[in-house]
Amino acid sequence: MNEVKKEVKTLRYLLIAVLLFWGCITTFAQTLKGKVVDSRTQEPIIGAHVSIKGDNKTTAGTTTDIDGRFKINVSSFPTALVVSYTGYNNEEIDVYEVTNDEIEVTLNENFNAIETVVVIGYGKQKKADLTGAVSAVNVDNLSKISASSFNSALGGSTAGIQVTPTTGQPGGGVSIRVRGGSSVQGGNEPLYVIDGFPIYSNNTSAGATTGSAINPLASINPSDIVSLTVLKDASATAIYGSRGANGVVIVTTKKGSFNQKTKVTYEGSVGWQSLRKKYDVISARDFAILRNEVLAETYPNLGEYQYKTQSEIDALGNGTDWQDEAFRNAIQTNHQLSITGGSDKISYALSGGYYNQDGIVINTGYKRLSGRANIFAKISKTIDVGVNVSLARSKANVAPNGVVSSIILMPATATIYEPDGSYTLRNPFEMELSNPIASLKEQTNQNTKNSILATAFTEWEIIKNLKLKVQFGANSESTKESNYVPSYIYEGSSSDGIAKLGFVDRYSWLNENTLTYNFGIKNHFFDALLGFTQQLDHIETAKTGSSNFVTDELKYSSLESGSIALTPSSSESENTLISYLGRVNYNFKEKYFASVSLRADGSSRFGKDNKWGVFPSVGGSWAVSKEDFFAPLSRTISSLKLRASYGITGNQEIGNYQSLATLASSSYYFGQKVTCFNPARISNSQLGWESTAQFDLGLDTELFKGRLSVSADYYYKKTRDLLLSVEIPWTSGFSSSLQNFGSVSNQGFEFSFTSHNFIRKFKWDTSFNISLNRNKVLSLGNGATSYISGNYIVEVGKPLGTFYGSVTDGILQADEIETKGTYTGLAQPVAGDQLYKDINNDKTYTTSGDRTDIGNAQPDFIFGLNNSFEYKGFDLNVQITGQFGNKLFNQNAQYLALYTGQQNAAAEAVNRYTASNPSTTLPRAKLDPAPIFSDRFVEDGSFVRVKNVTLGYNFHKRFVRAIGISALRLYVSATNLLTITKYTGFDPEVTSGDNTVSQGTDYGIYPIARSYNFGLLINF
Amino acid sequence: MKNKRLLFIIGTITISLSSCVSLDEEPKSSLVAENFYTKESDAISAVNAVYETLHFDAGQSLYNGLIQIGVEMATDDYEAGPRARNSHVRAISNLTHDASNNRMEELWKESYDAINRANIAIDKISAIPAENISADIQKRLVNEAKFLRALHYFNLVRWFKYIPLVLHETPTLTTENLNVRQATEDEVYEQIINDLKDAEQLPAPNEYSSSDAGRATAGSAKALLAKVYLTRQQWQLAADKAKEVIDTGWYDLFNDFADAFNPATKNGKEHIFSVQYQGYSNYVGNYLACRSATNEVPGISGENADAYHQESDLYNSFESTDKRRDVSFVTDVVSPTDGKTYHLRVPLLNKYHDENAISSPKESSVNFPYFRYSEILLIYAEALNELSGPTDEAYKAVDKVRSRAGSSKLQDIAPSLSQDNFRDSVFQERRKEFIYEHQRWFDLARRGSEYYVKMLKAAGKTQAQPKHIHFPIPQREIDLNPNIKQNPNWE
Repeated sequence: MNEVKKEVKTLRYLLIAVLLFWGCITTFAQTLKGKVVDSRTQEPIIGAHVSIKGDNKTTAGTTTDIDGRFKINVSSFPTALVVSYTGYNNEEIDVYEVTNDEIEVTLNENFNAIETVVVIGYGKQKKADLTGAVSAVNVDNLSKISASSFNSALGGSTAGIQVTPTTGQPGGGVSIRVRGGSSVQGGNEPLYVIDGFPIYSNNTSAGATTGSAINPLASINPSDIVSLTVLKDASATAIYGSRGANGVVIVTTKKGSFNQKTKVTYEGSVGWQSLRKKYDVISARDFAILRNEVLAETYPNLGEYQYKTQSEIDALGNGTDWQDEAFRNAIQTNHQLSITGGSDKISYALSGGYYNQDGIVINTGYKRLSGRANIFAKISKTIDVGVNVSLARSKANVAPNGVVSSIILMPATATIYEPDGSYTLRNPFEMELSNPIASLKEQTNQNTKNSILATAFTEWEIIKNLKLKVQFGANSESTKESNYVPSYIYEGSSSDGIAKLGFVDRYSWLNENTLTYNFGIKNHFFDALLGFTQQLDHIETAKTGSSNFVTDELKYSSLESGSIALTPSSSESENTLISYLGRVNYNFKEKYFASVSLRADGSSRFGKDNKWGVFPSVGGSWAVSKEDFFAPLSRTISSLKLRASYGITGNQEIGNYQSLATLASSSYYFGQKVTCFNPARISNSQLGWESTAQFDLGLDTELFKGRLSVSADYYYKKTRDLLLSVEIPWTSGFSSSLQNFGSVSNQGFEFSFTSHNFIRKFKWDTSFNISLNRNKVLSLGNGATSYISGNYIVEVGKPLGTFYGSVTDGILQADEIETKGTYTGLAQPVAGDQLYKDINNDKTYTTSGDRTDIGNAQPDFIFGLNNSFEYKGFDLNVQITGQFGNKLFNQNAQYLALYTGQQNAAAEAVNRYTASNPSTTLPRAKLDPAPIFSDRFVEDGSFVRVKNVTLGYNFHKRFVRAIGISALRLYVSATNLLTITKYTGFDPEVTSGDNTVSQGTDYGIYPIARSYNFGLLINF
Repeated sequence: MKNKRLLFIIGTITISLSSCVSLDEEPKSSLVAENFYTKESDAISAVNAVYETLHFDAGQSLYNGLIQIGVEMATDDYEAGPRARNSHVRAISNLTHDASNNRMEELWKESYDAINRANIAIDKISAIPAENISADIQKRLVNEAKFLRALHYFNLVRWFKYIPLVLHETPTLTTENLNVRQATEDEVYEQIINDLKDAEQLPAPNEYSSSDAGRATAGSAKALLAKVYLTRQQWQLAADKAKEVIDTGWYDLFNDFADAFNPATKNGKEHIFSVQYQGYSNYVGNYLACRSATNEVPGISGENADAYHQESDLYNSFESTDKRRDVSFVTDVVSPTDGKTYHLRVPLLNKYHDENAISSPKESSVNFPYFRYSEILLIYAEALNELSGPTDEAYKAVDKVRSRAGSSKLQDIAPSLSQDNFRDSVFQERRKEFIYEHQRWFDLARRGSEYYVKMLKAAGKTQAQPKHIHFPIPQREIDLNPNIKQNPNWE
């Protein structure tokens, strides 16, 4: 201990001495000039860092200008200059005497990915030193995909993450699973850490508007992001303790550099989006025939032409194409201006962005105006301070609930307008559907949000390498929801207009204090972290509204004009988290690495007997290639590292107050409304964490001097004490109780390859990743082996997202009524009815009794393939993603397969069973409108998709200089260009929300678009 | 400078080590049970919550649709309408339902939710110290809860036969607490009768203020007790209790049958106990009005999901002068938008139609009549007939109901019926009087399986079997609680 102290003291004196010395000698400095160029292209390198070897102080260094030139003061000779630039190998130039000649330095590109530094929880680490599974996402590729939020563009970018949009609504959400979903009822989304501020991306609505929720992360401008890291295994995520179980995505935004000339960049793009594919539905004529058939069968005494006569049918054409009316080619534009730079004391990055995306469904869209300032300052030799502030205002016009399914289900004989020009109110038949075009055009359904995310820190280097960092952060979001349903459309017709306003005020603050120290003793290197953090989240909502307006003019802006007030509502809730954390990274000779971390979290969300949880992890790695015995192989295998880790992480995403016996309020009526209070749940003071133990085994290697690098991981994750709404007997008065019960496992392999195929004038890089995850329920609460949740079953031994339904077995033919009639589930079976398999062997079919496992929504594997080419100024990037083996429940198709004449039907309905066409695949038309969930609508959701193709051209430096700028790039890009799939719905990249149990249902979801963009980038 | 820096450093360290947040949860926008049930206003809202279980907030709850689709569909008079989209409902209508049928699950679940609320109210209100609540109110509230507990147990025991008798809140989540045992029918009825006897001490209808109109009364308890005795075939007790209700003088029939379903005369002299509805009020309307209304007439957003069974002989069994047919059914509807009259393909149920809620029938303010005075008369007649044949008094009771409806007197058209024929007449009278009032299934079931199957087959429901006079206990409950066994007929 004493020795360490002494050493520290010595270091301190040394530092002071150096400083003093430097102060004295600068007056005698000589200036050297030089130029830095790329060894391959001979293009000047802008912003390369040049410093004097052995001089650790950044003030002595400089960066190259737009011509790649630099000047540096040298105090004594001989000396050595060190030139470095991200992505290139460092170069050392010895200079023996003063010279007036320009020193030319050529830098070679560095393919040695392992040398790069990655951002990890509460710090950074060299990739070579990692003991955990951490993937750095290629942000360049990410930014090429046209998306309103960064997380929706992550699909295919790295192994182990599955990204599925929950809606195509501009600004809408995505569901992300890192190494599979592990929680049955708790949240499964990863934790996002944005410039040090942890955010769990969930949405709170006051309930005034309907339709898809807006992705809270859409308020972060994707163009501001400079690095994105995904932490996957416990060694990496355990430092986030109770929030680490679903993986962690660390986002860092652009910063300026010290001693950097001001750089101004403008990037702008414009594009259009369109629908990939329509549902194929029957024409007006065929619909009329179908409806006549149904009515004649139901009311035989009223004749054959109860809906339309033959001559009326003959006069019908194709009728209204609701999909053509509702979908459009939509424009999107994006502008971004950023300024970065820095002096020797201050660095800054400022940016402003404007994003405007119209949706492919009429009258929907998303706009965002955002600004950011990231400023760092050295206020003294040992103290740094910094702030990251981002502001955004967004406005979303959201497609109201049910509109997309109405678009599909409105029959072609229905019209948008009545002959007098007013809107047709609704589907004229039994299925109650409001006119979707009227809903879209006339309803106001808008979300306006202001958000601020700000963090400020100060870092004090107490003694050399011992740093105390104190950070405060705040995230504040206020949302206004505005909704108006006018009196002249169906939804508002019985109330003469309905106006609603909702407000959500949400804030979260964070205080984070960390102490880091790194030191080396001989060949032992330590990097230690200690921390204490506290975070609070607070949400308030309010909703109000009124109806029965005299005029539709005022919309939601004058609630007092409505004669009936709607019941107002409000809520307030809060949760807190207090944590202590620590980590030691150790390595011996940069050959053997170990990492140990521990976090203790106290969360308000858990029962009073169980507030605290402890989350440890250990990891180790071995750089095999650094061993002497490996030397013979090192020509081929330039590096080889083995990793192993184990740790425990937690999940606290269950919402607030779940352990308490809270009361719910409702109302009854005794001559006037009276208030009721009744218990909403049984208390559970034992409620605790859901904990995930994860084991990871990994390998990182580089072959052929870094031309090919390969990473492979195997993991096994077991989540136990699931936060499960355990079903309890209804005789208790309740259906379920949130308890810690049961377990789920995920295990899988991940592989990623990066190859630099050509590295000369023609450059070709390929990266490929593939992940296989197997999910399985290991046990459920109370000794239960399964429970049914809607169209899904959660069953021990099976993965989550298992569809549970009937199995179709052909069509009942005329001669089979006696023998197979009971397999229709109908009291009076008729030829042409759908037959189902008798699963429980009781010689009859019932909808609830004869169900079985009919597929799973989780894919067998997912992959991403990226190829990028460069030749002269041209670059081409092609990203392909895909997934295989997952099933999707096409519920839109299920409704279109009800040949009831009450709503639209699929085009194939013309081939349905009739006496003259005894189909064996499609049932007859009949009145029965009850959909039966069967394998017929569970489709293969596999797809391969050209996610993005971008072709760009960078104008030659000489040309751009002539027009007074320093760089100019033009590009054209296509997102979701081509999709190969058997799925018959709008788009196979879809899921029904972020619930792992009920994933993979496609019903009325706003389809995602294909888009084309043109853009330019200018550096001034 | 040095001081400033020192201050900065000390400040930083202080802040970094002080904890500003607490892990205790104090919900700001919801109450917690342990701090509630301490004073009179708490007690009142707790009992209100028991009433609320009669309809809950949404549609398709007990007396707001569920009993129609979960129970009444399985009779000769009703079927799943053209827009009943739930295959489980269609299964009940077709009598192909089983223990996994989710409507049956709902019946069980909602009833036990109601019973739990009643149990909590009874126990917690009784424990409120005297200084916080007036003794009269305390007693009344407990008895109201007992009446409602009896009402739900009476439903459950008739639907599912062998049911657990839960009389107190489930305190903790232990298996002993959760895995309750099934009671015998006798045990359940004994509890029902005890609860109702206590509830007989409730105030008389006229003792409540208008701001309490709709609460259970002594009359409600007595009437329900009469019905319980009738169901138990304790004829003397049933006749006596019915007579007792008649003799109180609290009730009478409206002159016009239609007034029994008129929002303007709700909680009137004929209404012994009703489930309260009020449309256009931010409260709930009678959803049955919407479930039965047409969807094919412009300007009316009905659901056409609860339908009259087309093969039933009921519609055509009315005498031409009987007003009940045209109050219960509708065949011609005037469109509120184009003013034209539309003739419907088949008669639709129309009892809860509210003139003030034509275009939006779900806003109907017609109460659901759980118990009307006419039923007391018919119980009295039935019980007397079982005791000593069709006496004059029995005839009079039936004829009072028939005359009010505009039908001819039984005394005139069939003065000397046998005991069996008189019984059939009473049942037929109940059928006509209580269309869409959730009585048919109970009536068929209490006559026994043979009668039930005969009547259903006559109406073309050929899948009817003897076991259908009960419903299967939800499979989920059997799976979760090893102490629960399926009804033998449903195994």
